[in-house]
Amino acid sequence: MSEINHVEPLSETVQLLDADRKKLEQISLDMSLGLSTEEMSMLQNYFLNLGRNPTDVEMQAMAQAWSEHCCYKSSKFYLKKYFSGLEKHDAMLAMEDDAGVVSFDDDYAYVVKMESHNHPSALEPYGGAATGVGGILRDILCMGAQPVGLLDSIYFGEVWNNSIKGKGLHPRFVLNNVVGGIRDYGNRVGIPNIAGSVEFDKCFNNSPLVNAGCIGIVRKDKISRSLISKVGDLLLLVGGRTGRDGIHGVNFASAILTEGSEEKKSVVQLGNPIIKEPLIHAVLEANEDGLIDGMKDLGGGGLSSSVGEICLAGGVSAIVQLDKVLLKEEGMKPWEIWVSESQERMLLAISPENLEKISKIFHNWDIEFSIIGEVVSGTSLVLNYEKEKVLDLDLNFLTSGPVYCRNYELPKKEMLEYVIPPEDLDLKVFLQKFLGAPSNCTRQNILRQYDHTVRGDTVIRPLTGMTNGETHSDASVIKPLEHSMKGLAVTAGSRYDMVAVDPMSGTFGTMTEAYLNVLVTGAKPSSVVDCLNMGNPEEPKIMGQLIQVLESMSEFCTKMELPVVAGNVSLYNQYSGSNIKPVPNIMMVGVMDDVSKAISADFKETGNHIFIIGRESSSLGGSQYLKFRNIDSNTAPWFDMDELKQISEKYREAYSRELILSAHDVSNGGLIQTLLEMSFGFNKGFHIDLSDISDARTLEKIFSEGGERIVVEVKPENREEFIKVFDEVKITEIGKTTSGEINVIDRNITILEGEIKEFKEPWLHGLDNFI
Amino acid sequence: MEGTNNEYEAFQSFKRVGLDPRYVHVNELRRKTVSLEEFSSIFLPGGFSAGDYIRAGVILANRIASSSLNELREFIDTGKPVIGVCNGFQVLCELGFLPGWSYENQREIVLGQNTSNRYECRNTYIRLTSDNMIFKDFFNREQPYLVPVAHAEGKIQIQNKSVNLEKLVDMGQVLFRYSDPEGNFGSYPWNPNGSDHDIAAISNENGNVIGLMPHPERMFYRYRNAEKKIFGETAIGEVFFKAIKQYISKIGY
Repeated sequence: MSEINHVEPLSETVQLLDADRKKLEQISLDMSLGLSTEEMSMLQNYFLNLGRNPTDVEMQAMAQAWSEHCCYKSSKFYLKKYFSGLEKHDAMLAMEDDAGVVSFDDDYAYVVKMESHNHPSALEPYGGAATGVGGILRDILCMGAQPVGLLDSIYFGEVWNNSIKGKGLHPRFVLNNVVGGIRDYGNRVGIPNIAGSVEFDKCFNNSPLVNAGCIGIVRKDKISRSLISKVGDLLLLVGGRTGRDGIHGVNFASAILTEGSEEKKSVVQLGNPIIKEPLIHAVLEANEDGLIDGMKDLGGGGLSSSVGEICLAGGVSAIVQLDKVLLKEEGMKPWEIWVSESQERMLLAISPENLEKISKIFHNWDIEFSIIGEVVSGTSLVLNYEKEKVLDLDLNFLTSGPVYCRNYELPKKEMLEYVIPPEDLDLKVFLQKFLGAPSNCTRQNILRQYDHTVRGDTVIRPLTGMTNGETHSDASVIKPLEHSMKGLAVTAGSRYDMVAVDPMSGTFGTMTEAYLNVLVTGAKPSSVVDCLNMGNPEEPKIMGQLIQVLESMSEFCTKMELPVVAGNVSLYNQYSGSNIKPVPNIMMVGVMDDVSKAISADFKETGNHIFIIGRESSSLGGSQYLKFRNIDSNTAPWFDMDELKQISEKYREAYSRELILSAHDVSNGGLIQTLLEMSFGFNKGFHIDLSDISDARTLEKIFSEGGERIVVEVKPENREEFIKVFDEVKITEIGKTTSGEINVIDRNITILEGEIKEFKEPWLHGLDNFI
Repeated sequence: MEGTNNEYEAFQSFKRVGLDPRYVHVNELRRKTVSLEEFSSIFLPGGFSAGDYIRAGVILANRIASSSLNELREFIDTGKPVIGVCNGFQVLCELGFLPGWSYENQREIVLGQNTSNRYECRNTYIRLTSDNMIFKDFFNREQPYLVPVAHAEGKIQIQNKSVNLEKLVDMGQVLFRYSDPEGNFGSYPWNPNGSDHDIAAISNENGNVIGLMPHPERMFYRYRNAEKKIFGETAIGEVFFKAIKQYISKIGY
């Protein structure tokens, strides 16, 4: 005879009602809720009203939903203020579901999203980065879209510095493990990694940033929403099992890292690309067959967030049976099941009559699932574990979360013009060091570890030019549909050094560069996704940065007629009191009419004309040149959106007439680095004269990163037509391409002479010692 | 199976030459819902079957062996082409069909970790180095063909090399070798993984079981006009899959 023992109750009551402020603080701490005392008293009032104490499941669910990560309590007010007035243009869903959806052609839409995975990557770089990729794939998948490209912007500390002290992980270790995580996950799921950025700065020494993005393609009539509205639908939890990994991830992601945070590794989820890969197939097959009524991925906050949000969005509620969730390990408590952030899971709502069909699909792909609940009408969410009711809360209260209108402080405008020491430097020697620095050198050591050709759709790869001697592309181009020559150009990055100097114009600079990256390929920019990485929002200075970034993004998008379709805000990127520089990481996507005309960045022939499109800029503020020489500045160049608009129109005309053989925008490292990178592609040099550009100092002309400038290569037979197309735009002819030699003249003085390999070698090997 | 990828571009490649491809999951073989007999060619795509956490391809090979080894052997004996690319190549080696001397149960060739000790995604060139019945009329032996590679374990290591390498060459089983753009064999990064004798692809003695590390299916078309001028109008994928189609119709399947 055996007896069932109830060793301990499944859920416990939390003594909230009679707690004083001190006790409230203690409860939040003991249960790792991450809620402030004010928030705790809001909860106390709510339960006072109900006349009962909450269960531990309820408290944990509230803490998940009210974390900064889930409810954007610090940024929501301002996001709404600056973004809600933006027009949608080609977007079908902007800032509504798990990812943005934008029209691609009559029948298809593309789906985009970028999201930060900073805190997990700081602690456990390999797992954090890998699950960042996994999470972003699910965001695309849950819209019913086939993922076609991954991208990632990653920011590291001083990988070259051997004297970094403290308990944190060394930036070199973080670099190798983040790259490893992205590689091992991305390559295994078979989606090409096509674009992104890699940056190095002291401010990321203990706060690395990992922003993962993804783009997918879906037929417009197959778009699946992240909402359910059909009462009686079954809730299916599909894919990986639920375990104790990743518990309290969102609370942790909404807190400041300090020495000692390193011990919290269990908050980082574990990824498994080998479950993800068939999950993608199975979900897309079920979606194609019209079996799915609503779908949401399980990310931060786990079931707690997903069930809440998907129901609230559709005006329904749910009864969930927690004991039906398939577990990785025995003995998990109800609250742990409810908030676990285990990876590779999707929540599906289906009609009961489709259960058999969908079971068959998942069975064929060896994917596990269980029915965990049912959609009901009303507003109260109920969770049961076996026969015990462990949660009964109003969905609206649970999911909405508080909104803060935090104090902010705008930076004081002090004009501090930089002072450049006398020009005593040998430009060639300087450039060789400059190009070999981690901030400016090639990213090939990293890019070649990522599979960027799988699926066979990559038209412009991140590396372009002669085989095994390539240079960098501005944006990558993929051709997502077999039957159409239309393409998608994708880029991501940030001019964070300029943003740090001046958040307004630095953000314009970031947006302008993203725009130009897409435009130079010949595509028309059509949507923006933002990943805003900032320090501690409780500091007014940081809120000031956030507000200025949002304001200039909003202005840029209004002017350039672009929708912001998705994004995320990552705050509390602070380590033991020091904040990161503000990093608005911008992903931009453009649509190209015909990929056969796509323009890449590599000079292709000898004897062609070189032009600069766009007015000159001579400001060195926020430039890599000043950074490299440790010269302070707090002015950033200005960016002219009217000119950008004009250039955009004319440039696309030149693209469709195939007048431009290669093109690269002027950004990091200024005009000289732009020209050199173009020459590295096929080892074609350049002979140029800077005299006609302006009267500025030579150093300013070659290193300024301002303006909306594009350097282009034009064949002699197209020169006249090219000039005619750009009649209303400032263009400057500066020289010709050569078979290999480099020669730069300014006011009759030769300022640079050499062979390509003298510059390419240091550029190629800048990261060799670190990865 | 789980972790397999590259199937999309392989599928498209067959379709582009006018064939009628179908995806078959290893579970369908196990459950006997599909019979290999009905097909005229088998393509084992690349990827990381089961994650490749143990040894590349070994788990998929075991699953195929347990469900349809005999069926696959009969398929091969009819002379129909069986192509394994990347992970698929690793599977065919694990199954003993490549180089196929002792047929199965013995691995004469191992695909090891790249010499660079890391995953390498890059383009390189390959040249046809055999009179293989499928490819000899389609590839120019003097011409290097641009092709993508992307793998971490693709270094062809021949067991008992002093004897077996010569045997492989003599029997015409060295199908493609890595070269630089001028057609000279060898040297990193053109040989991206450090394979013996710069071997990129091999076949069985009969020439109908093909294993290759590069991915012709990922470069079927040369999309950009600017690229066509530099690298030529026709890309390797089109040549490769047209050759397979021609061979299939010649043998009458």
